Amino acid sequence: MSVEGFVRERQARWRRLEEVLDLAEEAPLWELGAERLQELVRLYRQAAADLNEARSYTANPELLGRLNDLVGRGYRFVYRRRHGERWRAAARRLFAEEIPRTFRAERASLLLAASSLLLGTVLGLAAVVASPANAERLIPSEFFTESPRERVERIEAGEERIASVGDAAAFGASLYTHNIQVAFFAFALGALTIVGGLTVLFYNGVMLGAVAGTYWLDGVQGFFFAWVGPHGALEIPAIAFGAAAGLRLGQALWLPGEKTERAALREALPSVARMLAATVSVLVLAGLVEGSFSQFTARTFPFALKTGVALLLFALLMAWLFGRRGRAEAP
Amino acid sequence: MSDARTILTPEHVEVRLTPAGLGRRFVAMLVDSTSALALAAAATLPFGPFLPPGVAQALFLTASFVTGWGWHVFFEAYRQGRTPGKQLLGLRVVDGRGLPLSLEQALVRNVVRALDFAPLFYGLGALACQYDSRRRRLGDVVADTLVIREGRALGGLGEGARSPEWNSLRTPRVLRLVRRRVSVEEAELLLALSLRAPELQDQARYDLMEDVARHYRQKLELGDLPIAGPALVRGLAALVLWDRRATARAPRRAS
Repeated sequence: MSVEGFVRERQARWRRLEEVLDLAEEAPLWELGAERLQELVRLYRQAAADLNEARSYTANPELLGRLNDLVGRGYRFVYRRRHGERWRAAARRLFAEEIPRTFRAERASLLLAASSLLLGTVLGLAAVVASPANAERLIPSEFFTESPRERVERIEAGEERIASVGDAAAFGASLYTHNIQVAFFAFALGALTIVGGLTVLFYNGVMLGAVAGTYWLDGVQGFFFAWVGPHGALEIPAIAFGAAAGLRLGQALWLPGEKTERAALREALPSVARMLAATVSVLVLAGLVEGSFSQFTARTFPFALKTGVALLLFALLMAWLFGRRGRAEAP
Repeated sequence: MSDARTILTPEHVEVRLTPAGLGRRFVAMLVDSTSALALAAAATLPFGPFLPPGVAQALFLTASFVTGWGWHVFFEAYRQGRTPGKQLLGLRVVDGRGLPLSLEQALVRNVVRALDFAPLFYGLGALACQYDSRRRRLGDVVADTLVIREGRALGGLGEGARSPEWNSLRTPRVLRLVRRRVSVEEAELLLALSLRAPELQDQARYDLMEDVARHYRQKLELGDLPIAGPALVRGLAALVLWDRRATARAPRRAS
């Protein structure tokens, strides 16, 4: 058969397949109807056979290219996985069951991330306590406009920074959008390089420890816990969760063991996505707390109360993620 | 086709995925970013005057953040790998095996945008694309996804697809016939004729080529190919040469 005849004879059904695919990709399956679905599958099989046949007739890139794209589209549609579940049920299951289960299963990467952060914190704190001059080397200079004690006195004596819900919302939104991007960055570095993710955590730990050290040396550590604690109890673990998700993916990419890289990635992806979902939701909550509750002076909320809330939030977070049944209420 | 990926469908048909180039992806990204921002603005700004200033600001910030990051995830996971920008430019994100990508893959490849975007407007992402044979940015590497070119609709399938100038002889059928029926001496003659053809006079060359072509049309049963004599001879010579080189590189299995 000549190529011309081949194209003339078959192109009607290729066009029909293209039409049905256009329709099928836009509309939900039930709207398409069983008959048209069957037609789609039949047309796809025919087009696949036609592609093979065409390859034995001609090297014409125009014909082969277009037919190839058409069969590729059909393949994607026919062999796809279904997203069947209702959105709300899926979300509930995600937060109540899947995230806690994943966190318990992925202890290794979480422990690694947490250790890196803690090690940094301890070293940063130790360095500043051992020699206060180290603080200037470890903490960016824009934080050194005044001593911690001066800052505490200025803030505690001044007016409340947050005067309205609007202030709190705007500040909170700017905080969580920023923090989520930082977490994404740590995640990506962890996934691509492993070491990069650990380094980000370690460096953030050093800064946190060093800042805490300066407040401690000035004898105002109570203020520090009350101001950083309520949101820090959520935010600091959440950054570690994001980085841990990255480490988990990095492990699949760089150390797949006996599996192929592709199989290892596929196995890691659901866990990683759940850990990311947890990171984002905890960071939103942390941002809202930081934008409001954390900003009040001891005149409105005593330090003891703020520190207590910090401990409570941390305990709730851990109970949610690592509690026995994993069914504690979501934050 | 060196940077194409081939997948084998359950029907045992090879489908080639053609990785999309940077230019198209960049334009698609611009379209998507602008649309996402416009959507956030359209969804929140009308409420601005009725809300306290801080709340309105928070709402817009959150909306632009959600649309900025969520736009790609939503369209890639729930609209067959095509964001509006990608659809406009004939691009599609697919799983590394040619299937639609899952929600998790869409999420991960887009979260890694944070790194692809660094240090300046997709610097790392562009570099990664440029040095990867499948044009994957970092997010595509960790999510095992590909951005493919898929704009060509069947609409234009007319003249071009049937045009005889592309009816190349390099098909499995002709190759098989050439291997079986063309002797070494004949092959040498074909090559020599092609090399010396430019030295012949136009009329003499045409007649000679037609003569030789008639012989091969009969010998190889190529009567149905709408190719002129000179083109057939040159095509056969090219095929013989190509086959020799291919054989020299990788010895054919005896069959």
